[in-house]
Amino acid sequence: MSANRWLATGNFFSSYKEEQRIFFTHLDRLLFCVLLAVLFIWPLVYEVSNKYMLVLDNILIAMVAIIGLNLVTGFAGLISIGHAAFVGVGAYTLAVFARTIGDSHVLITHAWPLMLIVSGAVGAVFGAFVGLPALRLKHLYLAIATLSFQMIFQWTINFFPLFNQGQTIPVGRVYWFTGMVSRGDHYLFWYYVALVIVIVFGLAVRNLLRTRYGRSLVAVRDNDRAADAMGMNPGLTKVYAFALAGFFAGVAGALHAYLYRGAGIESFTLAQSISYLAMAIVGGLGTLTGSFFGPAAIRMLDLQVENMVEWMKQFLPAAMNLATAFKPLTFGLVIVLFLMFEPRGIANWWRICRTYVKLWPFRY
Amino acid sequence: MKMSKRILILVIAVVAVFSFGVSAQAEVYKIGLSLAITGPTSDAGAPYAKGVEDYFRYVNDNKLLGNDTIEPMIRDDQYKTDITKRNFEEFLDEGMEFYLNYSTGSTLALKRDFDEEKIPVVPASMDAGNLIDSTYIFLPTTSYSDQTLGVAEYVVRNHKGGVPKVAMFIHPSAFGRAPVEDVKKAVEAGLKMEIVEVVEHGTDLDNTAMLQRLMSKGVQYVLCQTVQSPVATLVKDAERLGLIASRFGEEKKLTFLGAHYTGGNDLILLAGSAAEGFYWATSFNLTSEPGEGTTFVLDLAKKYGRDDQTANSHNYTAGTTVAQIATEVIKRAKAKKKEITRDNLYAEITAMNGANALNAKTTVGPITYSKTDRKGVDLLQIYSVQKGVFKAVGKPFEPGAAFKTKK
Amino acid sequence: MSYFLQLVVSGIVVGSIYALSGLGFVLIYKSSRVLNIAHGQIIATGAFITYALTVWVGIPLYISFFVSMVLTFFLAMSVERIFLRRLIGEPIISVIMVTIGLMSILDGIIYLTPFGGYNYSFPDFFPKTPINMGPVSISWTQMVGVIVTFTLIFLFTWFFKKSTVGISMRAVSDDQLASMSIGISVPHVFGLAWAMAGLSAAAAGGIIGNITGLNFETLHAFGIIVFPVVILGGLDSIIGAVVAGIIMGLIQQFASGYLDGKWGLSGTAEVLPYIILLIILLFKPHGLFGTHEIERV
Repeated sequence: MSANRWLATGNFFSSYKEEQRIFFTHLDRLLFCVLLAVLFIWPLVYEVSNKYMLVLDNILIAMVAIIGLNLVTGFAGLISIGHAAFVGVGAYTLAVFARTIGDSHVLITHAWPLMLIVSGAVGAVFGAFVGLPALRLKHLYLAIATLSFQMIFQWTINFFPLFNQGQTIPVGRVYWFTGMVSRGDHYLFWYYVALVIVIVFGLAVRNLLRTRYGRSLVAVRDNDRAADAMGMNPGLTKVYAFALAGFFAGVAGALHAYLYRGAGIESFTLAQSISYLAMAIVGGLGTLTGSFFGPAAIRMLDLQVENMVEWMKQFLPAAMNLATAFKPLTFGLVIVLFLMFEPRGIANWWRICRTYVKLWPFRY
Repeated sequence: MKMSKRILILVIAVVAVFSFGVSAQAEVYKIGLSLAITGPTSDAGAPYAKGVEDYFRYVNDNKLLGNDTIEPMIRDDQYKTDITKRNFEEFLDEGMEFYLNYSTGSTLALKRDFDEEKIPVVPASMDAGNLIDSTYIFLPTTSYSDQTLGVAEYVVRNHKGGVPKVAMFIHPSAFGRAPVEDVKKAVEAGLKMEIVEVVEHGTDLDNTAMLQRLMSKGVQYVLCQTVQSPVATLVKDAERLGLIASRFGEEKKLTFLGAHYTGGNDLILLAGSAAEGFYWATSFNLTSEPGEGTTFVLDLAKKYGRDDQTANSHNYTAGTTVAQIATEVIKRAKAKKKEITRDNLYAEITAMNGANALNAKTTVGPITYSKTDRKGVDLLQIYSVQKGVFKAVGKPFEPGAAFKTKK
Repeated sequence: MSYFLQLVVSGIVVGSIYALSGLGFVLIYKSSRVLNIAHGQIIATGAFITYALTVWVGIPLYISFFVSMVLTFFLAMSVERIFLRRLIGEPIISVIMVTIGLMSILDGIIYLTPFGGYNYSFPDFFPKTPINMGPVSISWTQMVGVIVTFTLIFLFTWFFKKSTVGISMRAVSDDQLASMSIGISVPHVFGLAWAMAGLSAAAAGGIIGNITGLNFETLHAFGIIVFPVVILGGLDSIIGAVVAGIIMGLIQQFASGYLDGKWGLSGTAEVLPYIILLIILLFKPHGLFGTHEIERV
């Protein structure tokens, strides 16, 4: 009886290789390709204002950073409250280059893919360095160590003139094969770049988790003494996890600097770290799809609160202060509600929906 | 468990629905303002926003532009540059022709965008760095460097006996450090003053040691460039130690002076009697010195139901001033029957000098702009706290007049 | 020499305020193993309630101080009841994130009140003259702050050592299952721990508000500085919080007194606590007085 590769039913494996497929059915793969095509084509068909494009770009960059954070906090179980510092390291690497060799230098404007990778590498080095305490500390204490790195990072940027003491360091516009990316195309261009990077990294991490290293990450998270007894090196695994997270965050930081055409300290503060953690948790800690849902949900929430505030201002014009207090209120409320009622995040809802659709019309 | 999940979904659905029910009625002239109404420096931002809003309402209600109205788009960015940029883009999408910004950080970060979009901008930040490498940014008044220089000159002019020893007390950021360089340059160019120490404060709970150190070095004057809260803590500690000078330049005591953001009624509120004898340099008229401009501001606040604290805040006055500048520029363009575009507004604002200077009732001097002079009010007024109220000292003067060397 | 003495005294004064802020933090961790990131906001709330009672209702300061402590007692207890009760047994990351969410919620609520945007300052309550002890001088407010801190610490230490409720709290922090089997109500103990933390936070807020004036942004910073203090002292030791608070205050004063200005350094007092935090974490993570956790396989 031949296997039906199109639907979930009647689909059985006859070799180990078949069991290791990413897409179990042709239908899955087809849908995924259609999704990718839609993501690439829709901006050309449907015009979106600059503001929303900026928001979308921001979401994509946050996804890159959150993939890294999920890797270290979700899969390796190492709580990191300093993730914005990693992103900042990537952004400031680019900014330091801009400051020393000129912000419209050829390296920055033409060789920007190289600069992205360099920023990622610097982020990885920094991440490994921050991960060194992980060799000795556990859980809570590691979280506080990352917090202290965040504060030291903030002070360092504010102090040294090399970083313009926290003020924005400008970065020039980039060149693509068709010439300089002008202001009108700026957001669209970086949308595509960020999208490509998100897809590449997403696939990379998905594959990573199927390898030996991915499994050792999960083993170290669950019980690192047992992992040690089984022959894995938990310390090195943890440092690698931090380094990887640092790499992703570094690339995200460089993208951020290019998108905003500058790097300033206000984008990489403790509040931003907390926001990243919130995105990871609301999305679903320890899942790859969670890294996609989390940033989208939190940033969209921000926007909706702003819209709601605008709408409320029509009724309470003198109460501007009242209305804009809703932002931190809803942010906190969403986090708390999710943690109380759905601790596994939006990814869990997605999983439930998907299983329901897959098994339909069967119930289980 | 299920019920609460349903509630969560309901809440999210309601929020999502509300997001679609928003579309601002398209009025005629749109002016955008993105500032910190909550978050850092919101104690200055909130009254500023109210000042802008109230003046535009006054313009609309009294039909100062005929049948056209101004629609201010005011957004809170919580002092975050990312959000300011997003608001700026949104305002551009809405068709804004004139922009009012707030924080130093975002003004510097968006400099290039302003130049590329060719839109005139009047920020609340008076940082001198805003004028470098930019053509479209117009400061409302003198810059922080000018104000610090102004108080330094006042010290030199009124100090009796020898070279005054001065310490600077600044905010640990570029906002605080910017004027230090300019003051040092003035000293090199001949300002007879000795800068003994430049202190960057943190969240100090106790400044006793620092004050004693300054006293031991013979410092008599402390120039402050920061926000009100640290200055209040500083003067309160000085009062406790008995170090505040009862008259200007008293021997073996400290006289405190500060730039625009150090003073105002908030300082008196925070520091109480310790603020007595504090010297403050700003280009705005204060409600404690009654005059035509201040009566106007107070009436405006009363008309739109603002409480006393807001009405007497110099940030409220500052907000009305920048709104006045924007309105005036539009009015002039309209009078010349020109279309309200950014280029025309830019032409109008750079022509605002000489006979065309704007005599805003809320500032100590006329507001003049040209292609080379992008500081609005060129004059500075010194105020000092006497019996808990800021009173004017002397006449408005132009800071740095004797030291126009390395500008 | 007198400069050095002044630095020492200032350090002790500032340090005891840090100790008071850290006290509540340690109380919560000690009984329920929860890192309360929202502690800075509770301190701020305590300060604002004290102000509101003193200025708007008209009660004299020393009475409103105690009333605000009682009110914050109940506030913190209800916070624990509503938000944290469900999270008993969840992994530590969830609990930390809930307190972070709480921090944002309290932020939002404070912005809804006029306290979020405006500055306020307490009316003068103590005489303005400083207390001069030889070459050193401190203000009345600071002296009262030190006295209140040490009184509260003394009370809490006595409470934990001698009273039944205190001992039951220590039992719960040691082993929840065993204390349940004896008959101690663990959820009650958690609520009580939070309530006591709220009490000390209100005291800290009242004192800080008197010294620096009520600016919400300034009060924010105290929530973060509390971390180096409690880690240095040991997360579950009250004595540790006191000692570490004073040490941190001294180090900050010495840093700003001697290091600032040399070699172009400035603002060292801001970053030094975090560098020390890092060093402590690497070499002695349980702090000076904390109980050493031994992992058994």
